[in-house]
Amino acid sequence: MLLEKKYYSFLTKNILCLCLIFFAFPLHADQSQKQRLQEPINQLHETLINIMVISDSTNFEERYKYLEPIISEYFDINLISRVVLSRYWKTIEEKDKIKFTDLFKKLTISTYVSRFNSYNNQIFKKISVERLKENRFLVKTEFRKLEGSPITFNYIVQKNNQKWRIISVIANGINDLSLKRAEYAAIIKKDGFDVLVTKLEQKIRDSQTN
Amino acid sequence: MTSFQCYKMLKQIAFLAMLCIMAGCATTQTSDNYANKDTLEPANRVFFDVNETLDQALIKPIAEVYVDVAPNFIRTGITNFFNNLAYLNVILNDLLQGKLNQGVSDIARFVTNSTIGIGGLFDVATSMGLEEHDEDFGQTLAVWGVDEGSYLYLPLFGPNSVRDSTDFVPSTLLNPFYYISSAILFPVTAIKAVNKRANLLEASNIRDEAAVDPYSFTREAYLQQREYLIHDGSPPVSGYDDVFSADDADDGSGLLKIE
Repeated sequence: MLLEKKYYSFLTKNILCLCLIFFAFPLHADQSQKQRLQEPINQLHETLINIMVISDSTNFEERYKYLEPIISEYFDINLISRVVLSRYWKTIEEKDKIKFTDLFKKLTISTYVSRFNSYNNQIFKKISVERLKENRFLVKTEFRKLEGSPITFNYIVQKNNQKWRIISVIANGINDLSLKRAEYAAIIKKDGFDVLVTKLEQKIRDSQTN
Repeated sequence: MTSFQCYKMLKQIAFLAMLCIMAGCATTQTSDNYANKDTLEPANRVFFDVNETLDQALIKPIAEVYVDVAPNFIRTGITNFFNNLAYLNVILNDLLQGKLNQGVSDIARFVTNSTIGIGGLFDVATSMGLEEHDEDFGQTLAVWGVDEGSYLYLPLFGPNSVRDSTDFVPSTLLNPFYYISSAILFPVTAIKAVNKRANLLEASNIRDEAAVDPYSFTREAYLQQREYLIHDGSPPVSGYDDVFSADDADDGSGLLKIE
C-alpha cells in the first residue's frame, strides 16, 4: 500500500514536471528567439549612439573603423547587394559582384557615419517585434530627439547560417533597399554597371568630406 | 465673379482635363512596382530637370537667404500660419475618411489655433494634446480604394500622382486666400513658397548627398511616403519583405529564399 502511494506520488510529480516543460519551454524558446533576433538592432543602436557621442573628439575615419565590424557582423551585405541589383546581379561577372558588395558595405558605413554625426541626447526606443514571412521578422523602433517628431526605424531581420542579420531598413516608411534598387536599376539601364560603380565611389568620397 | 477668379477656375478646369487624359494613360499599367507606375517617365524627367534647374538657380538660394535672415521663431510662426490655413482641408478629409474622432479633434485644433493662437501664428493646440494630422483628398481616394494611377512630376509642384493631384481642387477651394484679391495673394503665395522650400532644405540636402539618381530617388521616396501617410504611419507589414521574393530579384538559385 505504501509502495503504491509512493509510486503514484512519483508519477504525479513527473507528470507535473513534464507539463511544465511542455508548456514553458516553447514560451522560453520564443522569448529567447526574440532576444536573439533583436541582437543586431541592439548592437547597431548602441554603436550609433556611441559614434554620435564621440563625434566631436574623433574624425570620420576613426568613427568609420569603429562602426565597420558592427555592419560586417550584423548586416547581411551579400544578400542585400543581390537584392539591390535585382535582375542585373546575374548579368555581371563574379569579380564585379565582389567589387559591388564591398562598395555597398563601404557606402552603408559611410552613410551611417556621416548622418549620425552629433549627439544631443537622442535615444533609440524599441516598439515591437512582428513576424513576417517564414524566417523573417520586423523589429519596429523609434529614434527620439529632444525636439520634433520621432523618426521610425523599422528593421527586417532574417536568419542565415544560424545567425540573425539585418536585411532591410525602413525609415519613416521609406525602404532604403527599394529606393536604392530603383535608383541602381535606372542607372544600369541607362549608362551601365561601370557608371553605377563610379557614382557610388564618388558618393563614398563625398560622405567623407561633407 | 472677378476676372482673376475666372482665370483661376479656367486653370483648374485645364488641370482637371489634363488629369483625365493622364488617368487614361494610367490604365495601361499592370504591375505594382513603383517604377512601372511611372508610365510618363520621359515627360516627368523633363519637368524634373526644369524644376531642379529653377530650384538650384533661384528658389533654393532665396530659401537659404531667408533662413539666414529670418529668426527661427518668425519662420515657425509663418509655417504655423500657413499650416492652419490649410487645415480646413484636413478636417474635410478626416470626415470623408470616416475618422470622426480625429475630425472633431482637428476642428478643435483649428478653432484653438485660429483664436488663442492668433490666426494660427502660434500652435497652442499641440501643447493642449490636440495633435496635428496629415490628411488630403489623395489619401481619401486611396481609403476609398482608388488606385494612385501614374506617377506625375508636375512643373513647380513636384512629385505627385494622378490620384493625389486631385487634392489641388479641395485644398484650393478651402483655403481662405483663394477668395482674396490677387494684390495680396501673389506676395503671400511667394512667402508661402519660400517658407516651404526653406523647411525642405534639410531633406533636399540629404537627398542630394544620398541619391545617385535623384529622379528615381524622389519618385520612390514620394510613393513610399504616400503609402505611409495613407495608413497613418502603420502600413501593412505583409508587403514589407515582398522585395525578397520578387521574381526579378531571384537569380534562380533560390539564394534569396534562405531557409
